[in-house]
Amino acid sequence: MTLYHLDLEKAITAIKEKKAKTVCIQLPEGMKPQAEEIKQELADKTNARILIWLGSNFGACDIPLGLQRMGVDLLISWGHNRFNKKDGW
Amino acid sequence: METLYINAEYTGKVELCNDALDYLRKKKYSRIAMYASIQFVNKLEIVKKQLAENNIAIITSKPNRANAVSQLLGCDNYHHSLNLKEEELTEIEAYLYIGDGKFHPLTLVFAQKDTLNKKEVIVNDPIQNKMFLVNESDVKITLNKYKSSLMKFLTAHKIGVIITIKPGQEQFQPALALENKFPEKKFYYFIDNSVSFDQLENFPFIEVWVNTACPRIGLDDQEKFARGVINLNDALRVEEILGSKSIPGDEL
Repeated sequence: MTLYHLDLEKAITAIKEKKAKTVCIQLPEGMKPQAEEIKQELADKTNARILIWLGSNFGACDIPLGLQRMGVDLLISWGHNRFNKKDGW
Repeated sequence: METLYINAEYTGKVELCNDALDYLRKKKYSRIAMYASIQFVNKLEIVKKQLAENNIAIITSKPNRANAVSQLLGCDNYHHSLNLKEEELTEIEAYLYIGDGKFHPLTLVFAQKDTLNKKEVIVNDPIQNKMFLVNESDVKITLNKYKSSLMKFLTAHKIGVIITIKPGQEQFQPALALENKFPEKKFYYFIDNSVSFDQLENFPFIEVWVNTACPRIGLDDQEKFARGVINLNDALRVEEILGSKSIPGDEL
């Protein structure tokens, strides 16, 4: 039993629905050690290649740039929900 | 490219620990503002029941950047960002934060940095099953340095403005307001993906920095800026914050 729900079924469903071929997973610091099991489960249950974001995940504002250029068609980000940006704070 | 967010909700039970209940009773609080991080925000039913049983009314809100009522993000660290009404801000006797760590509850301390009547922030950590308080003493050094950076900004001529390009963070257009507000100063715009703290010293002509990325960088990372840093919105109202009617740098 982990401290936080990984909701892998939700991730798998999204990958299948979107027919994503290349998926990047982004995890907050405390969940990064679980990247191995998350990657394995998603790779086993879908046909997508799973990439792991090495860098920061400070919040939903902190989405990696340039992933499209390398063919990533879905980013799955754990630990945050949609961010409402405010101009000038 | 689409993005799917997964909240990663806490799997355990979320309730007030005995110490938290005892403390709330001891303080005789009758009206508190309650917030939680996204991992806990959908699991507050027991906490609400416990507070009701102790005749404590809950006031809450959906802060500016959050996506759920009662959800607290670290960047909603300005008083107005909480979206509480003026009368609610007056009525609440304390803040209660449900979650772990200090980063999120310190948001509520920073949100009160420019207010006189500060309310205490009680943290109930459901993972450790413990309570603790966070207050200005936890960030005293940071706030002192911040005030010193504000004063430095007033007299500085060459200002480095940091803009990060991630869509959720980029604030280039709002940053341009600095030029109108301070026509006597020179602004140099520095663009980065994330803030490269180790690069700051390579620009020794900069007298002080203005941060436009996450507002917590201007506060929590103050010590990484040898020449000081302030947040954009504080730069734009620096005289008001320092209680000064004129800008000492104006006559220079």
